[in-house]
Amino acid sequence: MWKKALGIGLVTVMAASTAACGNSNSNDKESAPATSTASATTSASPSAPSGEKKVIAYWTDDRHDQEYIKQVIDEFNANNTDNIEVELTVLSENYNQSVDIAFSSNQAPDLLRLKSANTGTFVKKGYLAPLDEYMTDELKAKFSSVILNDVNVFGGKLYSLPNSGLTLRLVYNKDLFQQAGIANPPKSLQEMVDDAKKITEMGKKDGVYGFALNFKNPKSAFERSVREILSLSGYQGLGFDFKTGQFDFGPYSQVIEYFKQMQDDGSIIPGAETLDIDPMRAQFAAGKIGMYLSFSTEPGVYKDQFPTTINWGGALAPTLDGQIKGTSEIVSAGTWLGISDKSKNKDAAWKFMEYMHQDSILTAYHEKGFGISVVPSIAAKAKQPDIAGMEGFLVGENDSLWPAAPSVTPEGANYGDAFFKYVLSGGNLQDITADLNARYNDALSKAVAKGDVTVTPDPAFDPGKL
Amino acid sequence: MTRWGKWRENSLFLLPSVALTLALGIYPLAWVLRYMFYEYAGYGQETFIGLDNFERLWRDDDFWASVRNTFVFAGGKLLLTIPVSLLLAVILNGKLRGKHVLRAVFFMPTVISTAVIAVVFYIIFNSYNGMINQLLLTNGAIAEPIAWLGPKFAMLTVIIVAAWGAIGNYMLLFLAGLQSIPHDLYESASIDGAGPARRFWSITVPMLGPVMQIIIMLAIIASLKGYESIMVMTEGGPIGKTEVMYLYLYKLLFPIAGSGTPVDQQFGYGSAVGFATALIVGVITAAYYYMSRKMNKVY
Amino acid sequence: MREHTLKGGRSATRLPVIAGKVIVWLFLAAVAVVTVFPILMTVTGSLMTNAELLGGGNILPKSWQFGNYADAWRQSNFARFTWNSVFLSVMATVGTLLVAAMAAYVVDRRSFPGKSLYIGLQASTMFISMGAIVLRPQFDLMVKLGLNTSLWGVILILMSAHASTFFILLSFLKAIPREIDESAMMDGASFTRSFYRIILPLLAPGLGVSGLFAFRHAWNEYILPLVFTMTNPKLQTLTVGLANLRYGSSAAMQTNLMMAGACLSIVPMLIVYVLANRTFMQVTAGSIKG
Repeated sequence: MWKKALGIGLVTVMAASTAACGNSNSNDKESAPATSTASATTSASPSAPSGEKKVIAYWTDDRHDQEYIKQVIDEFNANNTDNIEVELTVLSENYNQSVDIAFSSNQAPDLLRLKSANTGTFVKKGYLAPLDEYMTDELKAKFSSVILNDVNVFGGKLYSLPNSGLTLRLVYNKDLFQQAGIANPPKSLQEMVDDAKKITEMGKKDGVYGFALNFKNPKSAFERSVREILSLSGYQGLGFDFKTGQFDFGPYSQVIEYFKQMQDDGSIIPGAETLDIDPMRAQFAAGKIGMYLSFSTEPGVYKDQFPTTINWGGALAPTLDGQIKGTSEIVSAGTWLGISDKSKNKDAAWKFMEYMHQDSILTAYHEKGFGISVVPSIAAKAKQPDIAGMEGFLVGENDSLWPAAPSVTPEGANYGDAFFKYVLSGGNLQDITADLNARYNDALSKAVAKGDVTVTPDPAFDPGKL
Repeated sequence: MTRWGKWRENSLFLLPSVALTLALGIYPLAWVLRYMFYEYAGYGQETFIGLDNFERLWRDDDFWASVRNTFVFAGGKLLLTIPVSLLLAVILNGKLRGKHVLRAVFFMPTVISTAVIAVVFYIIFNSYNGMINQLLLTNGAIAEPIAWLGPKFAMLTVIIVAAWGAIGNYMLLFLAGLQSIPHDLYESASIDGAGPARRFWSITVPMLGPVMQIIIMLAIIASLKGYESIMVMTEGGPIGKTEVMYLYLYKLLFPIAGSGTPVDQQFGYGSAVGFATALIVGVITAAYYYMSRKMNKVY
Repeated sequence: MREHTLKGGRSATRLPVIAGKVIVWLFLAAVAVVTVFPILMTVTGSLMTNAELLGGGNILPKSWQFGNYADAWRQSNFARFTWNSVFLSVMATVGTLLVAAMAAYVVDRRSFPGKSLYIGLQASTMFISMGAIVLRPQFDLMVKLGLNTSLWGVILILMSAHASTFFILLSFLKAIPREIDESAMMDGASFTRSFYRIILPLLAPGLGVSGLFAFRHAWNEYILPLVFTMTNPKLQTLTVGLANLRYGSSAAMQTNLMMAGACLSIVPMLIVYVLANRTFMQVTAGSIKG
């Protein structure tokens, strides 16, 4: 019996190792037999003239648009005359760490998807190559009004060009609002608290609650709600104050008071403290939730994943006092592709980048609803995406890009956890705010001292003029 | 056999183990021992900061709360897992119809993806329409839904989920230990008129001693180290009630990305935390090993 | 529970024996129900639409979505991920068993200088667990060795964690009488030969059970392959690939597909279980007969 077992073991081992060798020999040249969500290799179909083929690796963490991007890349690979082949790799949630690992182990891609939140970090780590030498007058004219300091430009050098972004809105169930006798979505936080209470009083017997958020990860919940409430009220949405160049969580804490009120009223769906975003959407689609706040990806999600019969819509977030003193921040915007400083084929990478930024692709990207275009010439002529509920998320007069807040790593709990603890179990909000200010500003001054971050206070900063 | 020949054989047999342990066990340890005195974000400059990380650790209330949570979690998990799995192993080691099927059934939870099963348990336990609450509400056992994943009960729930995934594991280990007990011992005891209980206490327990000592030690270490099921169930929440120390460490190194600005990885402070957690686990394991040494002396 | 079984045993009368049996079966049934229910829900959940699954409240799907399995297979490049997982797990298991068994054999049968140091070293790698922090130096080392772009880096790291296997095998070795291999060596078998021909077969139950654990550990390992395949999705294992299934064509998780994938990925593991189970059960069956 043992001989047999050993025999089987040996065969397995040998089969495994030969196959493994075969595997490792054919990693790059051979295209993967099947396309997958995780990785897709698109290779040029025409037998290109012999000459040095330039393979450009493009990494992105966008998943929602990958079918379209794959198609666009296929066209590029088939039609470009420079013998360039672009390889798309779609990475997942650990994108930033994947990029770090790649750059630290000589596997860096040639092109990277940039988000306004990570561009500064990538520049600071020396991952990106400046684009200034490639910019034509035509491109400069097309993008000039939306190229921002500390978003596209760092230290006077340009690293990326804008395409689209995400707006954030209050997502509300119109049927429930109507049944509760509420005519319009709330304009102020006090109204939001009152509306949530009314809806809960009306619907609690059927398991209907006024408000919900994915508080399993408080920071993520607040980044899709408080951020927008603050920016529309005239304050930076992540607790930073551009006027002083310091963190000030004072305005933030005012918003938190209203959240706490809703919690104390029992207007938030029970179990929200461990609620993830998707179970929350499922409950919203089932008509159990009055309202929440989220990104302009919601219409697509309800179309594809959580088909619903309820009548819902998106509306501008409420503000602190009902007055709009700022603008609703368009997030993940302002940047799209960037060229790796380590790339050996920067010119080829730029050719692809230029291809991606042509009008027809930017327009299609907007019209298909993958993101809301922030490039004025595109936004002006593109048709609006045909997805139910999208109309509430379109860029209007109250939406704009904001300068980026500096990224810092404070000691101890982040503001999301600290504030949510107050919402759930109380405490002294002033002390919590003071503690956050101290820790975040401490981390900020350390980062400035190390040269990782530069901060210039702008006393004239006016959120109403963005 | 010459001494040289013996030495060569010994070295040959030990070499792979020693080489792997040094390169991938001891070298990382040395790395941590160095970086715990540094501030390092994984890129750019490394700054020597002396004992600052430990000073921070000392006043890091969240870390110490996670240590307390670890003890509660590990204790609860062990209390549920060990007796049930031992009992299952003893029963399924006997003559019982369908025991092979039952073993396979009890083994199944240990092979299913934690991320996936967490979703299922979420559907079972959630407050607004979870199955347990529905059951209790329709029975009239409770009037209001219980927040199984709320601050009060979340720890209990993650313990149950973790134990659910571990029982089959220890059942198998115990079974393997039971297999090694010579069967004639039981037969002669039966002939002498000993009932199942007598046989359990006078043969099974002592003969299982050495294996049991190791199994329980493995269980202690595993339950102190385990955080994956918590990570996917609650991410340590709500408000840190289920944050265990290895999860706390994990979050320092893999900060959860949101739509806001990214947070740096903290390798320096992470090393200090890693060192402290290792010390805690080491002390507990050593203490257990010392206290349980008589289990090994049955032979 | 235990008390009741005791009672059943102590008395020779028939009724308590039956009562004891009933209680044992009740206990088994209860544990089985608790064990199986979530798995059953995974299976039924894998056949629901995403909205129905995450909406909760249903045990059986309203309409059976068998297409989920096709979608999961296609979207996750399941064949490749399965292959990666099998390769990784087989290699890590064989390697771990071999390394640990060789070391345990020498440690149990020979005395040599530094033996207690070695045992202490192994014990300490088990005690000293610094969690995710060691991934960084391990990764850096693999970069230097050029092993970070294949699964071999992960395999070696998994093999390096062989301390628990070592101790399990050591305790099994202690139960194998020394006379057996000593007499073989008297008959002229070399140390190495007696290891392969005598000790390893006798160690089968220990190898079976610890091999099963090593295999399952490798099969379920998530963070290690996650970090090592971050830059190379083609090498992803099932655990990593399944987790990535959460994100599909929209911004929402495709939890139903994840469940379908999870159900599929259990199958290879159960096959290994049956094989391993047979090894250590056969040995016992043999000894009972003998």
